[in-house]
Amino acid sequence: MTSPFPASSSTPGEGQIVVELLPHGISALSTITFQYPLKLISPSPAAGQKSVLVFLLTYGGGLVGGDRVHLTINVKPNAKLSIVTQGHTKVFKSPSRDVITRQRLHVTVQANAALCLLPDPVQPFGESVYQQSQSFFLADTASLCLLDWVSAGRTARGEDWDLHAWSGRNEVWAIPEVGGKARLLLRDNVILEGDVPGSKGKELRDKMQQMGIFGTLVLRGPLVQDLAEFFLSEFATLPRIGARDFRSQDNVDKDNGITLSPQEIWRQARLKQEKADSILWSAARVRGCTVVKFGARTVEGGRHWIGNILKQERSIARVFGDDSIMCVR
Amino acid sequence: MSSDTVDSSQSQAIQDEIIELEQRLEKAKAKLKGAQGNLSTPPIEVPSSNGPLTSSAHHFLLLLADSALPLGSFAFSSGLESYLAHTRPKSSFPAFLNFSLSSYASSTLPFVLAAHRNPIDLIELDDTLDAAIMCTVGRRASVAQGRALLSIWDRSFSSALPAGASPAAVAALKEFTVQLRATSSNVTTDLPTASAHLGPLFGAIAGILGMSLRQTAYVFMLSHVKALLSAAVRASMFGPYHAQKMLASVEVQEGILKVIDQEWETRIEDAGQSVPVMDLWIGRHEMLYSRIFNS
Repeated sequence: MTSPFPASSSTPGEGQIVVELLPHGISALSTITFQYPLKLISPSPAAGQKSVLVFLLTYGGGLVGGDRVHLTINVKPNAKLSIVTQGHTKVFKSPSRDVITRQRLHVTVQANAALCLLPDPVQPFGESVYQQSQSFFLADTASLCLLDWVSAGRTARGEDWDLHAWSGRNEVWAIPEVGGKARLLLRDNVILEGDVPGSKGKELRDKMQQMGIFGTLVLRGPLVQDLAEFFLSEFATLPRIGARDFRSQDNVDKDNGITLSPQEIWRQARLKQEKADSILWSAARVRGCTVVKFGARTVEGGRHWIGNILKQERSIARVFGDDSIMCVR
Repeated sequence: MSSDTVDSSQSQAIQDEIIELEQRLEKAKAKLKGAQGNLSTPPIEVPSSNGPLTSSAHHFLLLLADSALPLGSFAFSSGLESYLAHTRPKSSFPAFLNFSLSSYASSTLPFVLAAHRNPIDLIELDDTLDAAIMCTVGRRASVAQGRALLSIWDRSFSSALPAGASPAAVAALKEFTVQLRATSSNVTTDLPTASAHLGPLFGAIAGILGMSLRQTAYVFMLSHVKALLSAAVRASMFGPYHAQKMLASVEVQEGILKVIDQEWETRIEDAGQSVPVMDLWIGRHEMLYSRIFNS
């Protein structure tokens, strides 16, 4: 177990957050330390707050080539933590392919504790080189809601997956109750390799199939169980691709007269939006976790899509507080 | 630049083949001399490292590369069917083939290579790969073919082990089979102790049967291409002659060699999806109204 007292360290980019539950049932920070270029801000606690809110920021609003950020988080039993950002995490151009900008996150979530990490997307600029590695060590009863998404870059400036390299790895490990080795539950790794200078085609752009954003949502644990079920059941009710309407005109008219449930009206509107924003998504159970993958043509389309679902389902805001979903609103 | 390296690795492969054929010729000559009773000439030295195994390794190379190997690969299109449904009418098989090669190599090939290098780690490799497959459809395809390969090993290959097979690797496979049976009888848990994914099992079995690391990687990727082409023919994208033409093409050969070189040193921790939309296509296969494949 990590000591609640941070070791005095001045390594650039290091940071630590420890959250615990106070006797009167409110989660609070017991440690928050950071070094340039990492910056952490937590608003002063409110009386009825459902979770501790921390803004994960960087000085200057982005990471410059070669920056390293290493954040360690420990959420103690029964405590809750939400992490958000203020705008995209910009990754600036690297002077060369060997200069790697790194962001590492090492999280422990203890029994009955929960972490909600819903940041803004990472925005890798043209010729940036970025490596992100996030490991989550969860106790059996811990909960995790994790969103990791990456955009095509500064599309307003014509960038369209012009990065040199991007990789994002998310690992979920189960920590055993008594001793023993942690077991890997899930390792999601997305590797985007930019084109070598001077190559003819735009291979990475072709691979991304006109998506402006690609994201992964990972859910595990009792507190996000409802949301996981919601995604799985919405996925199962998606209209079949290539299906035809075999109803006669009479039946179509009759069906149009039926008053739809609010749930069904919401779903129809969402499906319409999915079509308009070219959203492709899938949901699956992977070894006790639920993994939702999605791609959208624009960042705003993707944000609207996921925000809409979280708002409709409501459990994240209920468990972690309204502020926890501010980045997807 | 890249075509140079491909050329040199191709000519390297041809040179290896020549050396090996020469060795076999010498060996055959020596045998003939022995049979003729001319024992006064000393037998020609054959490097013992690959000498006794070579011929049987080739035999198994042909067996594992054979499309009649009963893995049931014909049932899976690795996302091709879903790709067609999502991108019609702009679908292009060569484009999909490129995506699929890149994606399959970056996500699975490191596990094949690792299992060939260290068959003892088979159980762990299988479990780690299971954690890295993000969709139900892909997992089902990989496990179905892996289990079929394990059955082929159990019922067919294991009784014909080549002389030089590593006992430790054979024991590791046996141990794996035991673990797998224990899992099947205990389906209630979320976490299987063994799943039997195709990649690691292929690497371990090919290694035991004496195939070199490069051969194993090549056959593994080539089988994937063959399965895709066969699926494309059955999805009536083009006819069998066109499929053979693509299979024989320099592009496919270079494509396979390129991804093998890219993933040769990749650690399994760094294996991952290089074509993110592939996960979506494969994951959404279940959403197709009509389908002829299982993936």
